[in-house]
Amino acid sequence: MPKLSWSRYLPAYWIQGVVLILTIGVFPSNALAHRVLIYAYAEGDTIYTESKFVPDSPVRQGKILVMDKKTGSTLLTGQTDDEGKFAFKIPVEAVAEKLDLGIVVDAGMGHRGEWLLKADSYLAGAQPAAAPKPTPADVSTAPGTKAGPVDPQVLEALLNRALERQLGPINEKLTELTIHRTTPTDIIGGIGYILGIFGLAAYFLSKKKPKP
Amino acid sequence: MHISEGVLSPAVLAGGAALAVIGTAIGLKKMDYEAIPRVAILSAGFFVATLIHVPVGPVGEHLVLNGLMGLLLGWMAVPAILIALFLQALLFQFGGLTALGVNTVTMAAPAVICFYLFRPWLRRESYAAAIGAFACGATAILLSGLLVAAALISTGKAFLEVAELVLIAHIPIMIIEGVITLFIFQFIKKVRPEMLEGVYA
Repeated sequence: MPKLSWSRYLPAYWIQGVVLILTIGVFPSNALAHRVLIYAYAEGDTIYTESKFVPDSPVRQGKILVMDKKTGSTLLTGQTDDEGKFAFKIPVEAVAEKLDLGIVVDAGMGHRGEWLLKADSYLAGAQPAAAPKPTPADVSTAPGTKAGPVDPQVLEALLNRALERQLGPINEKLTELTIHRTTPTDIIGGIGYILGIFGLAAYFLSKKKPKP
Repeated sequence: MHISEGVLSPAVLAGGAALAVIGTAIGLKKMDYEAIPRVAILSAGFFVATLIHVPVGPVGEHLVLNGLMGLLLGWMAVPAILIALFLQALLFQFGGLTALGVNTVTMAAPAVICFYLFRPWLRRESYAAAIGAFACGATAILLSGLLVAAALISTGKAFLEVAELVLIAHIPIMIIEGVITLFIFQFIKKVRPEMLEGVYA
């Protein structure tokens, strides 16, 4: 076998490197392992959750665990549907004690995601529902009479509902934006770190070697 | 393959961390000056391979290449994998810092085991070596899957459910990794046989 020179194989390495970088660069959505993400928002007396593997495949039949963030006790459990969605009525005890909810999705094989839903963000919708009945009666009589003083509680409930409807999509978008997506820059940065760490190791080993 | 934070019990996490420390120490002890570039390249390769997501099976899987790492690095695969996983946990929240030890063990232990298991095959000529390389890549994934399952079961997950999921998810990736390991092994054997010094040592 003839001796092969270095330069002969350099192109092969280069091509591999270029192909690798192209794969990462051209298909950024593929350049991700499965991190599981869950987010939740309240609308009226219901909390909606959506779970997915980053970037965009739903967690099907994932187990949902709703717990009290402080004590860690489980309030209720459920299962996501084929779109990764699961909705539940806000538990009565959560409203009564103003609990911050930790909503956990277990997607199997050690994949887990968690979302913290602060009490403030769901109580607004839950309170009118928990309030005594007479308020709707007031609403029905109020328009009939003159534009007299409107019950502030009713007004607040109506406003809350309207705001939730309009802000829902924005909330969802905001949540999406807060997800840290792995970009090619991150990956190349990571490779740089690795080479740097081993470069450092090589430096210290090379200092040590020649002495004796 | 990456187990998230908050899934495993503290005992399992501590056990994994202890094993990872021991493995890393042995790996570092074996790492000499000449081996460093090799470890660095494979660590970077592992870092990228475990980020690329292939949509097969119920959840989609990614390459691990731990069979290949074991084949080329032996015990040195442990520090290589530890560093890559550490950076993934830090930069992308894959896995997580508390689960770092367990994740290192589930991916690095099969690398080391397969290195010793398949070294006799790899030393032989042509076909035996090729079969050995394929088996090395595939078995490493299988063992990783089993270790993940074991970690989950020892934390109290239902045995059948986990075992089933792990098997279904890993069969396609086993074949893919086997083929990749085979081709890279053949390529290196022709082009840079000195990279295989661990196998022939």
